[in-house]
Amino acid sequence: MPGLVIVAALAMIAVCAPWLTPYDPAAIVVEHYTGPLPPGGNHPLGTDTLGRDVWARLAYGARTSLFVGGIAMAASLLIGVSIGLVSGYFGGWVDAGLMWLVDLVLTMPTLLLLIVLATILPPSILTIPLVIGVVGWTTFARTVRGEVLSLKERDYLLAARALGASDARIITRHLLPGVLPGVIVLAALGMSGAIGLDAGLSYLGLGVPLPTASWGRMISEVQTYFAVAPWLVFLPGVAISLAVIGFNLVGYGLIARIESRRT
Amino acid sequence: MTGYLVRRILRAISTLLGTTLILFLLVRVVPADPAVSIAGPKADPETLAAIRKDLGLDDPLPVQYGRYLWQLAHADLGRSYLTGRRVADVIGERLPATALLALTSLGLGFLAGLLVGMVTAARSGSRIDVGVLLATLIGLSIPTFWLANLLIYAFGYRLRLLPLGGYGTLRHLILPAATLAVVQFFFYARFVHTTIGATLASDYIRTARAKGVGPVRLYIRHALRNALIPIVTLLGLDIAALMSGVVLTETVFNWPGLGRPAVQAVFSLDIPVVAGTVLFSATLVLASNLVVDLLYGVIDPRVRRG
Repeated sequence: MPGLVIVAALAMIAVCAPWLTPYDPAAIVVEHYTGPLPPGGNHPLGTDTLGRDVWARLAYGARTSLFVGGIAMAASLLIGVSIGLVSGYFGGWVDAGLMWLVDLVLTMPTLLLLIVLATILPPSILTIPLVIGVVGWTTFARTVRGEVLSLKERDYLLAARALGASDARIITRHLLPGVLPGVIVLAALGMSGAIGLDAGLSYLGLGVPLPTASWGRMISEVQTYFAVAPWLVFLPGVAISLAVIGFNLVGYGLIARIESRRT
Repeated sequence: MTGYLVRRILRAISTLLGTTLILFLLVRVVPADPAVSIAGPKADPETLAAIRKDLGLDDPLPVQYGRYLWQLAHADLGRSYLTGRRVADVIGERLPATALLALTSLGLGFLAGLLVGMVTAARSGSRIDVGVLLATLIGLSIPTFWLANLLIYAFGYRLRLLPLGGYGTLRHLILPAATLAVVQFFFYARFVHTTIGATLASDYIRTARAKGVGPVRLYIRHALRNALIPIVTLLGLDIAALMSGVVLTETVFNWPGLGRPAVQAVFSLDIPVVAGTVLFSATLVLASNLVVDLLYGVIDPRVRRG
């Protein structure tokens, strides 16, 4: 699937960043700053408004995006899957209460909630993904809960219970593997969502702080210069779009594969 | 039916209360002393203590929460730490601009998406399906603020057709609305395409076709009517997502709506403004969800029994 190609390429760039460019993304590499340089020569993608190499910032930015996206998605996954499993399995008041919690989180517009949380926590490369993760677990929870509800009545679970298996064992040994395919799909889609959210946050200035390279912030930094140096605005956006598209393709490709296996 | 109504409204109220509680707690956790924010860092301890007493910050938490709810019931969202203005006033001032942008883009995007979705669903075939999915996937992946910048560059700078940002005339509205509308368009196009596609494949449509109903009448009277239900309910639920998109778009275009003061309030740790705006949007979302659910109960009798 082309999605995998994109994602793999991103991962390679992120990991190999130091070898792909001789420049430090935070360092000013022009000797006499006279303005951003267009692509060419020593700087394959030009330099930005402070004299930093663009390709270096893009490549290291891949690290930031994948890292933030990954942690955020992992946090959402852990919280959401746990809540979904417990909610679906135990039902009753527990279920009602947890789903009310889901409603609560969904009522507040995501970006606004992120903004509030960003006020409270000092922004760092660790807190931002956690914040995004705390906001994004609802999809995991709802989907997992749905699958648990349908799996709950299967015979092998009745058998396990009859044999005396504890609730914890049933949940971890039997239900969890059942929901796994859905969770993996959501993980891919969650990754794309997290990267997008992070880009938006960084653009507003609430993302990972300087001097870490971040694609979203790269765009906000150079907005006013687009007349002079349009590529500065254009390139980070392409990067963000590609990353999001890549993970989305992986997610939808997985869905297609699961569907075809089912029929 | 009344059972459904009552349950639904109770649920909305409890969710609203929960939201106020969470916001209240979040606000208390902020690492900035409100008294210092109001009086400035050079104020003497007596002034700070007086401010704290005035705001009731020394009272036990449950008392503070009660007072908070009481104020909310009177539509009092507090005063900005920075400007001292009532938050409710600030919101009232900037709401029309946001509403204008949101509703225009929603309207445009929805209608365009509806049209395209209908047309593509009618000529269904696996290639078109894949094409639509792919196009919407790419369209929805593009970051809004980047698209906004690209549009400004193309139409504002290069072609000099439209202003670069700001507010006031119809021309100022075009670009921001278009940016948001694009996202809405892809979202609705995909949903409409799949929903109508699924409807067209169902049995009652086959029956109608077998009876000899002409294609146009078939489409409009039978397929569309039923497919419209989930589509329209989606409109109401889209409000939350719309608000997030609005914040970013307003920032790019310098649109004088609610989004920018909220973000700026974050930077200046002006808690009442941030909390007030979030609470206001949450209330809007809850209200629209409630309306949508109630309408759904009216339109689709199957829901009432459930």
